[in-house]
Amino acid sequence: MITALTHSVTLQGMFWLTITLIAYIVGLAIHRRCYGHPAAHPLIVTVLLVAAVLMLTHTSVQKYQVSAQLLHWLLGPVTVALALPIYRQWAQLKHYGWRLIVSICAGGVIAPLLAWYSLWVFSAPTALQLTILAKSITTPLAMEATRQIGGIPALAAVFVIVTGIVGSVLSGWVFRLFNVQSTDAQGIALGTVAHGIGTARAIHMGEDVAAMATLALCINGIATALVLPLLYSFFSFLG
Amino acid sequence: MAKAGKWLVGWGVILLCYYAGIVISASFHLPVPGTLVGLCLLLIMLFLFSGLDSFIALAATPLLTHMSLLFVPAVLGVGIYWQDIMQNWMAIAIAIVVSTAMSLGLAGKVTVLVFGKRGNDTDNSQI
Repeated sequence: MITALTHSVTLQGMFWLTITLIAYIVGLAIHRRCYGHPAAHPLIVTVLLVAAVLMLTHTSVQKYQVSAQLLHWLLGPVTVALALPIYRQWAQLKHYGWRLIVSICAGGVIAPLLAWYSLWVFSAPTALQLTILAKSITTPLAMEATRQIGGIPALAAVFVIVTGIVGSVLSGWVFRLFNVQSTDAQGIALGTVAHGIGTARAIHMGEDVAAMATLALCINGIATALVLPLLYSFFSFLG
Repeated sequence: MAKAGKWLVGWGVILLCYYAGIVISASFHLPVPGTLVGLCLLLIMLFLFSGLDSFIALAATPLLTHMSLLFVPAVLGVGIYWQDIMQNWMAIAIAIVVSTAMSLGLAGKVTVLVFGKRGNDTDNSQI
């Protein structure tokens, strides 16, 4: 934390933090303009704008990452803070009991396995195969889990965001195709497979659907981030 | 002033859990990331002291709402892996588009089956 702060409380650090904040505010405004469409995710606009400024000022990404370390460091505390939504959904979890857990676990196993299988069939590099395993869980947990199993955390962030956007955009069509009419089931599937972005989609379908999605997002995130490193250390112990 | 104090306490508890998680994970050589241990610690704290809820919420809600901002430095670093991505773009596209769509559908289907008839006419009046 101290190094993150000392790097940020310099003129350069302040400059890049300000640029990033302005870019993010523009991103939020555009997202609102598009009525919260998942494809207009604020992160996309923010990253493009910051990249443009980096290019214009001939600054390397590494230099930017040092200046904006504070933002990256905050990923740790935000992961810990995920305890709050879980705590608040606890009553829901008790109400639905094992059915909810089984549903979330099913989605939480199917999604990474299918994704991993596609990369395996094309014999993609191992680091990519390991990274894609975390694509359905919320970004900070996904980055933490991929670091732990020898994947690429930065790439995990991109995979996770794109998965969320794709899942949200395709969800209406997919649920019609698979004939999933229950909104509760849709909420759980969205939260499990498309994490926070899917949950944002579920908010439009009603408050209790959004609550199911939040619960699914939290449980799948924690379970996957726990199980992946354990499985990894188990297999590396065997092999 | 009272709000600022609450905010500080909230942050203090979050940071305490964060660093305790890292220390516990490192000193016991746990394969589980330290932040996840920190998350569990905070969850335990919330259950033990139910009054803590509003303190944590004050500190954590802005952070949770604007989480995307924190990914910017990491995502910009993805340029280094551009070659890897381009060499495997087809596999990645299938893994993300096709498999996500299928997973969504299958997860929804399983949920409908598990919840049985309850799934369609759940009584939400108690929540």
